[in-house]
Amino acid sequence: MSYLSISHVTKQFGNTVVVDDFNLEIEKGEFVSFLGPSGCGKTTTLRMVAGFEIPTSGKILLDGADITDKAPNQRNVGMIFQSYALFPNMTVAQNIAFGLSVRKESREMITQRVDEMINLINLEKHATKYPYQLSGGQQQRVSLARALAIHPQVLLLDEPLSALDAKIRVSLRAEIRAIQKKLGITAIFVTHDQEEALSISDRIVVMNVGVMEQVGTPFEVYNFPTTVFSANFVGSLNNASAEVVNPASGFISIDGVQFESAVDLTQRKSGDKVRVAIRPERLSFASEQKKANVVDATIENITFLGSVVRIRVKIGGTKFNMDTFNNPFLDLPKIGAVEQITCSREAVLVLDE
Amino acid sequence: MKSSQTSDPQLSNVTVGGASRPPRLNFGHWLGVIPFFVFSGLFLIAPTLILAYRSLEGANGGLTLENYQQLVSDTVISAYAMSIKISLTTAILGGLIGFLIAWVVSMGGLPPRFRLITTTFSGVAANFAGVPLASAYVFTLGRVGLVTALFKMFGVELYKNGFSLYSFLGLILVYLYFQIPLMVLTILPALDGLKREWREAAENLGATPVQYWSRVAFPVLMPSILGTMILLFGNSFGAHATAYALTGGLFNLATLLIGQQISGDVLHNPGLGYAVAMGMVIIMAFSILIYSILQRRSERWLK
Ligand SMILES: Nc1ncnc2c1ncn2[C@@H]1O[C@H](COP(=O)(O)OP(=O)(O)OP(=O)(O)O)[C@@H](O)[C@H]1O
Ligand SMILES: [Mg+2]
Repeated sequence: MSYLSISHVTKQFGNTVVVDDFNLEIEKGEFVSFLGPSGCGKTTTLRMVAGFEIPTSGKILLDGADITDKAPNQRNVGMIFQSYALFPNMTVAQNIAFGLSVRKESREMITQRVDEMINLINLEKHATKYPYQLSGGQQQRVSLARALAIHPQVLLLDEPLSALDAKIRVSLRAEIRAIQKKLGITAIFVTHDQEEALSISDRIVVMNVGVMEQVGTPFEVYNFPTTVFSANFVGSLNNASAEVVNPASGFISIDGVQFESAVDLTQRKSGDKVRVAIRPERLSFASEQKKANVVDATIENITFLGSVVRIRVKIGGTKFNMDTFNNPFLDLPKIGAVEQITCSREAVLVLDE
Repeated sequence: MKSSQTSDPQLSNVTVGGASRPPRLNFGHWLGVIPFFVFSGLFLIAPTLILAYRSLEGANGGLTLENYQQLVSDTVISAYAMSIKISLTTAILGGLIGFLIAWVVSMGGLPPRFRLITTTFSGVAANFAGVPLASAYVFTLGRVGLVTALFKMFGVELYKNGFSLYSFLGLILVYLYFQIPLMVLTILPALDGLKREWREAAENLGATPVQYWSRVAFPVLMPSILGTMILLFGNSFGAHATAYALTGGLFNLATLLIGQQISGDVLHNPGLGYAVAMGMVIIMAFSILIYSILQRRSERWLK
């Protein structure tokens, strides 16, 4: 039995189904991200775990206990808000002490725990400051410490970094991950930023209008998306409609151009419509020894993106992006030239249309 | 998304105003506020200076402290005391009742239209004072007023049970009519400023609703509540027309005393009147000072 179990949870507001049959088992100490576009129900799902919303149906079990209908203040779950939500009338130390003091812990215990937490987030110099005297990043660290002070069973973070600027966002997410690992705490992290989810999580739940599209490690979700939505949402992607030519050998045809895929197509029939997805970085100029998936492509456009050069090519009637690492000796073709490009069989993903 | 939008303009303000360009005095920028300065100069600062001068002027000309020495007489002290007593009572009562109404309106799950009705009514009532207000009360709670008559129908004779509209209690009832709505109007924005996340964070950390109110919401609101009560105090302290219209100037209030000394025929002693007025100016200035200190603090918290 997993540590946190969300099973068949559905949430309706009026007649709108916002979360539809959500199922997830989270192990103790795991860091799981909910990734999805705005309005897909990430916050609502998180709020059901925190107790601010009650599921319309389904169950939530935490460490074996059914918490589905428990009041928020009866659960031992820490929540981090996008807007920090620090109490403005309390200092950093008082904010961190709040959860312990409403639990009527002893004064010595509170002082000791607050000190511990302040060390953990490196805000020793700011313990007596008020929230309005702190930067956004510092405030979010305080709110992290405040949530952790009560030894929560699960830590819930609802887009905790999205109000911060890019640099702090990256450094704070690393800090959050490091602290989570150090304490071995179970965490759910909500974000709509795919890079954030990929970099920080043990597992990612890709969500789309109320339903789970895919659950997997960042590696799996990025390299082996199981749905078109998940392929499109995580990373950039070429995708085109195609037709199965030979299920046994893995041949498909995009607008008359044949590709060979490593994906098992034996469940499909010749002539089936499918969607083919290829990551831009998996396409490259063909060298002599390559045999599979070598196709002619017309160079249409070249964009310099810094570490990466993006080349727009046309294969048959279909346009693709091809990414190649930049280096000073890169020998770029001329626009309009026809070049041979290739990709491995594994790079050709075949998804349902 | 939402908060990144709100923080961007703040950031750009900081760089423009703070770092790159030193603030320059540009006449154009000040043009718009000239009417305000002219107005406050003519109708606030000048009268105060004239008042201060007159209060130091002796009956036969020349500067003297005579008028101020007369302040320590029984009538004057009891007038101040009565003014302060009425103002404090109505500020506290009006503040508490007004706060409760505002709280119900903003927190309770009442339909939005109810809120609109309350604020509209409060906007009107807060400005209802003077002769019209006094008459309204005479018509309802006067000796032969409507409500007095209603009570009589149920066997309660208000005026035989010690009630009088023309007494301390009556005056308080009348003042509350504008004090409560004023409290509602000024405290509603502060209640709206309480963020939902604060309540949820408190709950999430294990707090009961009572703990949330006593440790977070109330302390956060306290500067606004106290500040508004001070505003109410000043509002009632300076009221003259209502009290005059209701009691015909017979009640011993500081404002009425000033009227008697300056324009009355019997007790004509303008110098004393000016000194009493100066005393009121000082008390008012002091309240405004405390008000602005509290206001600044609550703004910082609620921003
Ligand atoms: N209390 C509510 N009443 C009615 N509808 C709601 C309520 N809360 C959320 N919704 C709706 O449910 C849907 C999902 O909302 P939710 O906040 O969970 O999305 P989200 O994935 O967190 O989006 P975002 O990335 O914008 O935060 C939205 O369409 C929203 O309008
Ligand atoms: Mg959300």
